[in-house]
Amino acid sequence: MTQMPSAAAFADDEANSIALIIRVCGEALAIPVSHVHEVIDPIPRTRVPRASAFAPWLINVRGAVVPLVDVRQRLRMPVSHGNQGRIVVLDIAMGADSFRLAMLADEVQEVVDIDPAAVEPLPENGSPWPANYVTGALRRGDDLILLLDPENLFRPEQAA
Amino acid sequence: MNPAAQSYIHEARDLLTQLEQMLLDLETDASPEAIDSVFRALHTLKGGGGMFGFPALSAFVHHFEDAFDRVREGKIGISKPLLDAALEGRDHVIALLDAGGDEAATAELVGSNQARRILAALEGAVAGAPPAVVRLHRWEVSFRPSKGSLRCGMRPDLLLEELRELGECRIRCDVSDLPSLESLDPTLSHLGWVVELTTAQPRAAIETVFVFADDADPRIVQLDLDEEPQIVAATPVTAASAEVVTAPAVATAPAAPAARSGQRSQSLAAQDTVRVPSAKLDSILDQLGELVIAQARLNQTAARLGDSTLEGLVEEVHRLVTGLRDTTLSVRMLPIETVFGKFRRVVRDLSTELGKDVVLVTDGGETEIDKNVLDRLSEPLVHMIRNSADHGIEAAADRVAAGKPAQGRVRLAASQDAGEIVIVIEDDGRGLDHEKIRLKAIERGLLAADARPSEAALAQMIFAPGFSTADKVSSVSGRGVGMDAVLSAITALRGTVEVTSRKGEGTRLTLRLPLSLAIIDGLLVRLGPDVFVLPLIAVEECVEFDVTELTRSSGRRMLRIREHLVPFVDLADALDGTVENDGRRRVVIVRAEGERMGLVVDDILGQHQTVIKPMSAYHADLEDFAGATILADGTVALILDVAMLLRRLGGTGIGLAA
Repeated sequence: MTQMPSAAAFADDEANSIALIIRVCGEALAIPVSHVHEVIDPIPRTRVPRASAFAPWLINVRGAVVPLVDVRQRLRMPVSHGNQGRIVVLDIAMGADSFRLAMLADEVQEVVDIDPAAVEPLPENGSPWPANYVTGALRRGDDLILLLDPENLFRPEQAA
Repeated sequence: MNPAAQSYIHEARDLLTQLEQMLLDLETDASPEAIDSVFRALHTLKGGGGMFGFPALSAFVHHFEDAFDRVREGKIGISKPLLDAALEGRDHVIALLDAGGDEAATAELVGSNQARRILAALEGAVAGAPPAVVRLHRWEVSFRPSKGSLRCGMRPDLLLEELRELGECRIRCDVSDLPSLESLDPTLSHLGWVVELTTAQPRAAIETVFVFADDADPRIVQLDLDEEPQIVAATPVTAASAEVVTAPAVATAPAAPAARSGQRSQSLAAQDTVRVPSAKLDSILDQLGELVIAQARLNQTAARLGDSTLEGLVEEVHRLVTGLRDTTLSVRMLPIETVFGKFRRVVRDLSTELGKDVVLVTDGGETEIDKNVLDRLSEPLVHMIRNSADHGIEAAADRVAAGKPAQGRVRLAASQDAGEIVIVIEDDGRGLDHEKIRLKAIERGLLAADARPSEAALAQMIFAPGFSTADKVSSVSGRGVGMDAVLSAITALRGTVEVTSRKGEGTRLTLRLPLSLAIIDGLLVRLGPDVFVLPLIAVEECVEFDVTELTRSSGRRMLRIREHLVPFVDLADALDGTVENDGRRRVVIVRAEGERMGLVVDDILGQHQTVIKPMSAYHADLEDFAGATILADGTVALILDVAMLLRRLGGTGIGLAA
């Protein structure tokens, strides 16, 4: 059951059950707020030659050099090179350390409570998103919110 | 572990480092002061060990303290076996210290064959030690008690008695001041004495005699300052045994260096020091880096606003930040001497192992270098020095046949040159055999069979992986692992190595390293919309570029820079960049690992002092970049790793001219 880890992760503690909803390519994505450091407006970015399409830029977030990530590539969405929308700065644990990264979002919407019981698994087959990145979905009206697993989605060694 | 024990461990480590130096110093200069400082160091180690939970260490050191106490008392002399045992003993003490008071590990060390062997060697060295060699000096000691001093109980006879105890005395009494008998007051002192004293004791011992009689106006003059000191063998402690080793030219060493080194260690000890964890220094440096960046932005903003009051303020902040940066960097600086000591030991041990007589001469030990650089430098240096002693220096017989002194010389010199540390390792050995290198390179497939590269290019090939021309493999070197590792270590420190050699005369390795790892001077270049930083250390010159060179139908990609042909690459091609071509482009000539290459860029924006930030986990595998930095306008720029870039673009490998 692929959704179990994520449902558990979202229910683990208070902070994990609260998520920030962002929009990328029209889809609503939920990121646990415990990972979110801040949301900033677009700033000049620096191209990293020969880098993967997943992390092709660097930006300066308050004096720190931070990789700017485009999740579309890993979520099999069409990649765009526009510099609009917002930038979500995240802290991701890697082993004992954590590192900071920024991701592009078309839009940052709201912070919601996630009810673990309402999380539905994605179909085993036919889901357009890799199951290790998107671990479940939540229905809200006509909308479908995709629950992301940040540790997996932003893991550096999974090269493009 | 309690803090007291922790601090003992720190101090003991420092002391052991010094001890190694002192023991090596004893080899050339066994002055009483030098022997005394060894004894004191051992004594401190032993005492502290007993107090802070290292009883085994204390017991072990006791044997050495005992031996050096006998040396100090003049009962035995310094001999090579004694110093050998003491040096090995010192290494064993480090192991005991490393055990950190862990009982099982300590017990194992104490019971080890190693420990038994060292102590046996020490015992043998003490039993078989040559008689102490004593240096005698001649002094003229004159004194004249003040007139009324006899009334206060002054006894000149006792002073003379004490002087006699120091050594042989020729005593003259000065009666020139004696009045005629009718006017003589027997309660006053009228006499003076001049004593010619021959003794092994230092001046301080003579001064002690007069410590309660300073009103006697004592004058102590050394008579034999310019002469060779007299050497006399003290009464032998034991009959000459089979193991007696003739003391090396210990006693004839001039006294002056000893005096100087004595002063130096005193002045070092006198300085107040604070022990700070280096992580704290690192974090200060990080914040300072931010400050430098913020300051650059402030400069730019002030220039835009054009307010003169603000500009004055900015200038002052700039001055303060620069001062703060220099001070902070200097805190992390250590004299390179701290690793030189280790190398003396390496060469000494190596001489024995290889059966060669090699001496290490060091120069510029006071040159300061960032601790981080120093820590990562010592391994490659050891390797290069071993190589010089092993491959470079010939066997004594061959040297004599070649008309060289039998003793080989390896010189290690450090100096600072325009923001760089230059370290030279030079030997007076056989030099590189360029023809042999060429053949080997062809055999290893590193060179085409008909290639005839220059001697310089051939010399640089010793840094290629798996390259060694040694015919026989010694335990020291010859397996061809090493020089390539040396090169990558130096490159990782953003430094360069260059080798020059003359057959029969020797080899010289020149290392150039940045002063600090945290901040570099960079050259900003523009490629379309992108800005990159080239470390200034790698930049040789910048010249105008004739864009028609890029369209040569012959495909030739060579520039003539004065008399040399230099290959060039369009950096935009190398970095998938776009070109904003207004017909004028420029080329930056860079050098790394002995190779030159021209990098064609759109524009050169100027110099910039940058704080290096490491590449993120996503980009760690991109070898073209040494890191990233933040520019004055707040944007991020990538710092090019010129050596890696050239390796990638040069294609075929190291040392091959493109």
